[in-house]
Amino acid sequence: MTLFGLALDAMNYTSVLLLVCIGLVVIFGLMQVINLAHGEFFLLGAYTVLVAQGVGIPFWLAVPMAFVAVAIVGLLCDAVILRFIYDRPVDTILATWGLSLAIRQAIVIVFGAQSQQVAAPLTTPVELFGVSYSSYRLVVMLIAVLVALAVFLVLYRTSIGLAARAAMANRQMAQCLGINMRRLDRSTFSVGAGLAGLSGAVMAPLMSVDPQMGMGFVLPAFLSILVGGVGSPVGAIWGSVVIGGSTTLVSAWWTPVIAQIVVFLLAIVTIRFLPSGLSGLRKR
Amino acid sequence: MLEIKGLRSGYARGADILKGIDLNVTAGERVAIMGRNGMGKTLLAKTIMGLVKPSAGDIRLEGAPIGAMPAHKISNLGVAYVPQGREIFGDFTILENLRMGVIGKPKLGLEGLEKIYDWFPILRERQSQRAGTMSGGQMQQLAIARALIGRPKLLLLDEPSEGIQPNIVHEIAEKLSAISATEGLTVIVIEQNFEMVEILAERVAFLENGLITGESPTSRLVAEPELITQNMGL
Repeated sequence: MTLFGLALDAMNYTSVLLLVCIGLVVIFGLMQVINLAHGEFFLLGAYTVLVAQGVGIPFWLAVPMAFVAVAIVGLLCDAVILRFIYDRPVDTILATWGLSLAIRQAIVIVFGAQSQQVAAPLTTPVELFGVSYSSYRLVVMLIAVLVALAVFLVLYRTSIGLAARAAMANRQMAQCLGINMRRLDRSTFSVGAGLAGLSGAVMAPLMSVDPQMGMGFVLPAFLSILVGGVGSPVGAIWGSVVIGGSTTLVSAWWTPVIAQIVVFLLAIVTIRFLPSGLSGLRKR
Repeated sequence: MLEIKGLRSGYARGADILKGIDLNVTAGERVAIMGRNGMGKTLLAKTIMGLVKPSAGDIRLEGAPIGAMPAHKISNLGVAYVPQGREIFGDFTILENLRMGVIGKPKLGLEGLEKIYDWFPILRERQSQRAGTMSGGQMQQLAIARALIGRPKLLLLDEPSEGIQPNIVHEIAEKLSAISATEGLTVIVIEQNFEMVEILAERVAFLENGLITGESPTSRLVAEPELITQNMGL
């Protein structure tokens, strides 16, 4: 593979990782909830597309459907489980872990444990600077960039975003200024879940759709957040670039196993010297 | 304006620090709460603001019970809180901090911004600056301005003179006193610094071991300063 082709692969993985990270980082930043069910929301997005394709719904319609469907699941999870335990961090970890097991097992019961395939909506490769590359992967990158841009525009250019950032910085003070935290928490968890669902939906044609598929993304997503800076949406970008880029490059030059070791070491070294992650560099 | 009767409150269940506070504040009045460290002054402010739920007693704002309300609802009823340590948003610009003062109040925009800038001109000059880079006195002005831009009926200040040089303390106290007089704003200030209390408050209530143990017009305390040490148990 040429260096340019490798760079495209790295950008592709990074962009999807960013899509998964944004939901996680916003949920953690605002609610201090480490959502261990995020991988299963990714999974639900992929299965939504699988079911939609099965009943004849076009792929491009199934993707926004996946976002909405998983956002509704997130809303229900918040209403039934999480809202009672937001102020108990250890309990939220246990609850979201339990939720992840329940969702995965429910998927096994309904769809079986076997791998299934989602047909890619675009199959013709395109020629880019002499490299033949999957057109669908390019579209995935574009979707990830557009979604990330939309999230950042909401966060940094709207009143809702200002309120969300204020709540991330100082939850109690935000409440004292009239912000209804309950409503903000509910919307954040729902949108965060929806974004994971959207990532699963766009990644479904590139992977085997099976009950374990979320696990492969949620761990690097957590590492990206740690490297970028916990609770920092901008840090999520840097973290995704470091983890996504290094995973792809080391996998190509050596093996995926070595890549995992390198990525873990990189994360440990970063956290050791920059406890606030890469976003902490700005404050130095 | 604010009636507190038999208020009991604490940070942990079954461990009340406030043990039956009775306090009445009339509209437009400026009252200081003084007391030694650990007597429950900040807890009283947090309980009025809805950040700590009372275990017993009653808090009424203009006759409406607010003791069980969450902080955002109390804020929307017209109570503004300037906490100890100011708690401005350091990564936000000054203008963004001021926007935060109206963000939870759908009927209010930034129409009061010019008035705020007239009261605190330094904020106009530095509106695009990151708030975390300002001095302590400027941050305190910003915290007060953020509270005032939401047009509150009652302003609750917790140790506003903490960590600020004396001439700025004077300036802030005089400004708040003038704003209260012109706007009809009710002020409750929790303070240990009598220099600020002397300028700002008309009446002082002393908080000792979770109870209001005495009250006095500020003018009397100026004339007889030994009453301050007596009432504060020093």
